[in-house]
Amino acid sequence: MNALAQQGWIWFSQALTQHSSFSGYFQPLIQLIAPQWSTDAYRAQVIEIRDELADMFTLVLKPKTGLIDQQWPSFKAGQFIELMVEKEGSRTLRCFSISSSPAHYKKTGLIELSIRIQRQGRITPWIREQMRVGSLVNISVAQGDFILPTPLVEKYLFIAGGSGITPFRSMLQQQLLSEETEQRDIHLLYYSRNNQHIAFQQELEQLQNNCPNITVTFINGEQEGFICEQHVQNYCPDYHQRTSFICGPSPMIQQARKVLSDLKVDNSKINFEFFGAAPIEMKSTGQAIVHFQASEKIVVSEENKTETLLEQAEAQGLTPVSGCRIGVCHQCICKKKSGIVFNTRTQQYSDTGSEEIQLCISVAQGDVVLDL
Amino acid sequence: MTINLAHNRPDAESLNAFENDLNNIREETISKVGQADARYIRKIIRIQRSGEVFGRLSLVLGFFHPLFWVAGIALLALSKILDNMEIGHNIMHGQYDWMNDPHINSRKFDWDIWGDGESWKRYHNHEHHTYTNIIGKDRDYGYGLLRLSDDIAWRPKNRFQFITYTLLSSFFQFGIAYHEVAGERIFAGKQKETSSLPISREALKQSFFSKIKKQVFKEYLFFPLLAALISWPMFFAVLAGNMIAEFIRNWWTASVIFCGHFTEDAQTFDEKECENETRGEWYYRQILGSSNFKGSRIFHILTGHLSCQVEHHLFPDVPAYHYVEMADKVEAVCKKYNIPYNTGSFGQQYWTVVKRVIKYSFPTKEEQQLATNS
Repeated sequence: MNALAQQGWIWFSQALTQHSSFSGYFQPLIQLIAPQWSTDAYRAQVIEIRDELADMFTLVLKPKTGLIDQQWPSFKAGQFIELMVEKEGSRTLRCFSISSSPAHYKKTGLIELSIRIQRQGRITPWIREQMRVGSLVNISVAQGDFILPTPLVEKYLFIAGGSGITPFRSMLQQQLLSEETEQRDIHLLYYSRNNQHIAFQQELEQLQNNCPNITVTFINGEQEGFICEQHVQNYCPDYHQRTSFICGPSPMIQQARKVLSDLKVDNSKINFEFFGAAPIEMKSTGQAIVHFQASEKIVVSEENKTETLLEQAEAQGLTPVSGCRIGVCHQCICKKKSGIVFNTRTQQYSDTGSEEIQLCISVAQGDVVLDL
Repeated sequence: MTINLAHNRPDAESLNAFENDLNNIREETISKVGQADARYIRKIIRIQRSGEVFGRLSLVLGFFHPLFWVAGIALLALSKILDNMEIGHNIMHGQYDWMNDPHINSRKFDWDIWGDGESWKRYHNHEHHTYTNIIGKDRDYGYGLLRLSDDIAWRPKNRFQFITYTLLSSFFQFGIAYHEVAGERIFAGKQKETSSLPISREALKQSFFSKIKKQVFKEYLFFPLLAALISWPMFFAVLAGNMIAEFIRNWWTASVIFCGHFTEDAQTFDEKECENETRGEWYYRQILGSSNFKGSRIFHILTGHLSCQVEHHLFPDVPAYHYVEMADKVEAVCKKYNIPYNTGSFGQQYWTVVKRVIKYSFPTKEEQQLATNS
């Protein structure tokens, strides 16, 4: 019944406004009084911009509440949000882990995003330059399952690489601020490029002093190199009792997973979170032909070069709606008429028939026909 | 008369240079598209939405004074014209897809008119824009109702085509809705054996009726009933107001579109001549088959910049607001290569359309002779 009523309401709204929701129709008018207001995102105000390192800064955001703005639902430590900014008229999305804790949000109404400036990036340097205290941005609800399990597993090994520290900062801060009596035993191995690039160093040192259950080991990549079995064995001898969480650049995650596997840590006890799109783990693909039917374009993909369908479409000058580009926001969904695609996020091959796929995480296998 | 494309066409070398010049105009414009365009389209949408809200309110206020009713019709007609032309038509051409706005993109947008947006995109963006003015291929040419060139054999019904034309303009929204799903094929059973349609006849019928149901519910039932709550005769006042607003919009859009392709000098083409066209040849055909008309910026906006039909056909996915500045450049390029560029005032162009509709109401001399001989 409820579903039927909802369908009826959508029909009613479509009949009156040609939009599937009334708010969609009125959005441009609502934006007159509430800039940046959007039907599919929450508004947040920049409260502070804090430089952490030469190439990393923290945005302190206050999700807005009020008559027009719905309350932003809280989050779990370790989750990320999509940050949407409008650059030259074009809405652009990027995903960032929340680097502050839910307890902090409860107390102050603030969340923090710690963002590394990608030197070649189109968006992160721009955000640092353009954002001012008071600027408005759009954020999504928190997403992601890189979170600590609720039935308390007692001992954890966190492995962070560079800006991969952000979800861990949230988890550690949560442990410090929350009034839970049971404390988790956490050991953090924090890899950084060199001793100039350690974000939140003081804070983590202080945390270690205040919480007896938290141990932090800073590892200077320049001196000690990439993660290896010796590091884990030396710094955290009881690693086999711990559940591991890994976050950092993808090569580092791959390496850390391999090291833990080699050390006979059970796969079910290894959790990890990629920054950006999951790397494509695929056997040789051979040539693929992608047919963009509606625009009458055909692309033959090069061998040994894996491009997503979104990249291929854009290279052809098409502009499908896109968002996060890592398979999260579902904006780039497109109808595949036929053919098999490989989903880089789920690491699965699709069916051959007609279905909706996400362009940004799909790689063509053989011949694919798209309704684009 | 269908012209012999190959005969009048500039030679291959100049066509190549011509193609380059046009591509450069496009590149130059695309590089300028940005924040100002996003702000512009949002502003137009705001004007349209406010126009609709206040228009409908004002219609009801006609209860107090008839002038409110008249103002309501004007606002509602304005809102529908903006929605159909500058907003809907252009968004559905993908001109604003780069904004990545969930409500301002060609995948989602639907307009305030009987024709269903999905079906329109399918046939208009593809058929009409690819096969512009090719007799037999471009179903938009005369909408299967009017004889506008000698390439179509005269039939007795053409004698009355000026009346057909007036009716088509008055009920243009129905004409478009029917036309875009190829109504004569899906309803009358004149089914082609090899259907190139990517969608079944049932699905087409379904989207045809589903959209019309919604529009009828809104304009002829819901808002009139809402007004009837004040006093029952208001039902008819609002119903009539809505119909008049639609009527105004129908005439306006039909006239703008007719002036874009059916003016005296707009040419038609034969299917064979257009096989294996180069980009330059395609550009050339688009220019010959379209015509522009001049006016103030507000006038351009009300036509959805289809006043720059030539530029729209050359660059259908460039935000239309830029067509006016592109038009000067395109005209200069055409002059350089000695290619006719069809432009004039709206009045002049419209007059040639009327003349053309009347002219082809009558059979050619040969056909007349044939008729008398037999």
